[in-house]
Amino acid sequence: MQTRRIFHSAIILMLSLSSLAVNAGALDGLSRYMGIGTPPDAKKTEYRVGDRLEQKPTTDKSPYKEIKWDDLMPKDWDPTSDFKKLDFSKMKDSDPRAQEALQHLREAWVNAPIEESMNGARIRIPGFIVPLEVVRHQITEFLLVPYFGACIHVPPPPSNQIIHVFPAKPLKKGMESMDAVWIKGELEAFPSDTEMGSAGYRMKEANVKTYVPSGDCPCPFPGS
Amino acid sequence: MKYLISLAIRSAWNRKLTLGLTLMSIALSIALFIGVERVRQDAEDSFAQSVSGTDLVVGARTSPVQLMLYAVFHIGDATNNIHWKTFLDIAANPSVAWTIPVSMGDSHHGFPVVGTSTDYFAHFHYSDSQPLVFSSGKPFAGLFDAVIGAEVAEHLGYHLGDKIILSHGMGGIGLAEHADKPFTITGILARTGTPVDRTVHVSLEAIEAIHLDWQGGAKIPGFSIPAQYVTKFDLTPKEVTAILVGLKNRAAVFKMQRYVNEYQTEPLLAVLPGVALDQLWQVVGIAERALLAVSGMVVVVGLCGLVAVILASLNERRRELAILRSVGARPLDVFLLLSAEGLFITLSGTLTGLVMLTAITATFAPMIQSHYGLMIAPTFISYDELGLLGIVIGVSLLASLAPGYSAYKLSLSDGLTPRI
Amino acid sequence: MVNPVIKIENLAFRYPKADSFCLDIQELHADAGDRIFIYGHSGSGKSTLLGLLGGVLSPERGTISLLGHELATMSSSDRDRFRADHIGFIFQQFNLIPYLSVTDNVLLSCRFSARRSDRAIVSGNTLQGEVARLLDHLDIAMELRHRPVTKLSVGQQQRVAAARALIGSPEIVIADEPTSALDAERQKAFLDLLSRECIAADTTLLFVSHDRRLASGFSREIDLSSLNRAQASQEAA
Repeated sequence: MQTRRIFHSAIILMLSLSSLAVNAGALDGLSRYMGIGTPPDAKKTEYRVGDRLEQKPTTDKSPYKEIKWDDLMPKDWDPTSDFKKLDFSKMKDSDPRAQEALQHLREAWVNAPIEESMNGARIRIPGFIVPLEVVRHQITEFLLVPYFGACIHVPPPPSNQIIHVFPAKPLKKGMESMDAVWIKGELEAFPSDTEMGSAGYRMKEANVKTYVPSGDCPCPFPGS
Repeated sequence: MKYLISLAIRSAWNRKLTLGLTLMSIALSIALFIGVERVRQDAEDSFAQSVSGTDLVVGARTSPVQLMLYAVFHIGDATNNIHWKTFLDIAANPSVAWTIPVSMGDSHHGFPVVGTSTDYFAHFHYSDSQPLVFSSGKPFAGLFDAVIGAEVAEHLGYHLGDKIILSHGMGGIGLAEHADKPFTITGILARTGTPVDRTVHVSLEAIEAIHLDWQGGAKIPGFSIPAQYVTKFDLTPKEVTAILVGLKNRAAVFKMQRYVNEYQTEPLLAVLPGVALDQLWQVVGIAERALLAVSGMVVVVGLCGLVAVILASLNERRRELAILRSVGARPLDVFLLLSAEGLFITLSGTLTGLVMLTAITATFAPMIQSHYGLMIAPTFISYDELGLLGIVIGVSLLASLAPGYSAYKLSLSDGLTPRI
Repeated sequence: MVNPVIKIENLAFRYPKADSFCLDIQELHADAGDRIFIYGHSGSGKSTLLGLLGGVLSPERGTISLLGHELATMSSSDRDRFRADHIGFIFQQFNLIPYLSVTDNVLLSCRFSARRSDRAIVSGNTLQGEVARLLDHLDIAMELRHRPVTKLSVGQQQRVAAARALIGSPEIVIADEPTSALDAERQKAFLDLLSRECIAADTTLLFVSHDRRLASGFSREIDLSSLNRAQASQEAA
């Protein structure tokens, strides 16, 4: 009878699905092990090295203002200005001035000044995680950087493009290097003449949410 | 309904030999399945909590994973060493708050010996920013003083004041010993649950001292410098194996990392411990996923066995089912009865498997800790494992439905007069 | 005029995929207290008739009414419940469930029917007490009651089965060749015990057997081969 056949088929289907799930896990593991499919290093296939996170304009009326990473750099700061003044066509090969200018650029990049007006600003900004402290599989302290792969293959960001984040609660398990998140909280901008040795940005008691590629956080921030 | 369950249990008990074997196979497969996941979690935990508050780990240029393994976990060997001058340069960098140099190569009864400075005891932290605590004694002061970890003390039965001899190399047996320069234990560290527990710590100068009359990895034949004269020589270390670095501003880590990686005098590598560990998990994760899949397969095999056994018994039970129908059992009741039996065996098997796993873990945990520095906790079931277990029970529920369904069809066709 | 306990009219049944009917009965009535001997050899349609009476089979044509309830109008689970409440069955052999005790086997009827359970204790007795009473009447000695059922002789097993069929005073008891596995003297003894209990409770007894010698002592005798027109037409063909 009809009900019997449907019942029979349903059981076969459920049993097949569950064994398929187990098999899928096995195949996934096997393929990675043998180097087929995604290689272990580039497991975040949706981001390539150098990718930045999309920030679409929103009408969100939250007291936390969404900012861009460029806002963290002082407007008048351009470390490339010296470099740009050089006329390469007038130089000989291996001209020491070229190397010197490059060196200055690199040093300026590393000792970048902070935008002091950002101190105390309540902001939200997306970025990638570089974990500093992990306790029982949960990240309790991390650096937020603007682009993917900031610690491999590309030059690291200048110090005014790094935020040292202390999340209000340890991040959920499974979060790891180069995961994309939104952080929300009060930004501290401290200049270089402190005991920290160099200038930088910090956020304590930060609210951290996973970044969803559409650009808008689908869920309201609690307490916003 | 309750009576059907009572019937199912009594019926299963009646065939306890065959069903008992299937129960055991399910128990073993569950123990394996959950065990694989548990060992992975605990190993990851153990590794992750071995270093805290350290911003960079620096070594001779090698792979990040290998550097973490030998510098923090004392597993494997360094490809090369770092010159002392390089260490001083790095320590003098204005971004640096503290440094811990470490030097490796010797061992004591299979436990690694680490030469380091007293900064180690001041700045090394583990787990959630826990500092090192002495259960007795204090850091080394004299040249041949040693501080041992809790596992070394317990395993070898050492106390303060005991004298120990270090061996050259990491093999464990048949190694040349530094017999003429014994060390005195002046400190024992409290248990940390990290590789610190199984390490013997001595000063960098002491490492220099015991190798004064060695050359190229072996003692110079016919030549020896007695222990009391070693101070006449310059005991400043020439090299270190690795350096742990703490910065004044943690956000400056990239700057410092680049400085180390581009250091001109010798090829170095600086890694962020958190990032390097994530890379390690990715590598390990591949093997672990494969292992989990295989053990999942084993569970499926166990369940197939159970279904087969119950299905095989159905033919003999046709008269029994006809009796039940004659007293008013519906075909649905027959279905529930058989399914309940399968589910009952699975749940008992799962419980037995967990008990077995806990027992095995409890038995072997001390040995694993002693040999590998890994802490496997003998918990019965953890919150995360419940999810895995839920999947297994769900699948077994489905599997139990198969003989139930078969019995249902059979009782419909047999009615009150099964033809056997 | 008392309503018949069993009323069959114009009944016809054929198994799926069969060309012809295997059972075709014009009329069969039974009143309360009737003890009917049905003579039927194998192939006479006896299993089919028992299946229809028990409510596990549905006729293609005609009506079966038991205690005024027409079975065809009931859902299958209602028929199962009806069977539990009003009918006791005794099979030819292997009547008992091997992993239950003697008492639990007898009480099986009461587990599936609250009505039987209630009627069993109506005289102020407990269920256990009622079981003991029936086993006494059916000549099952005390020491046998705690033995595993597999250790009982066939005769003893049949009598325990009878107790199960009788507990809670169902209106109908159907016995499908219950004595065929017993030897001659035990057959008579079983019959006597069963009849006595049925008379005492005014139960309608349908006793199917191929041994005509047992027919005496019943109030009616029916030859199923003659009653079953499908059988007759087959034999004529």
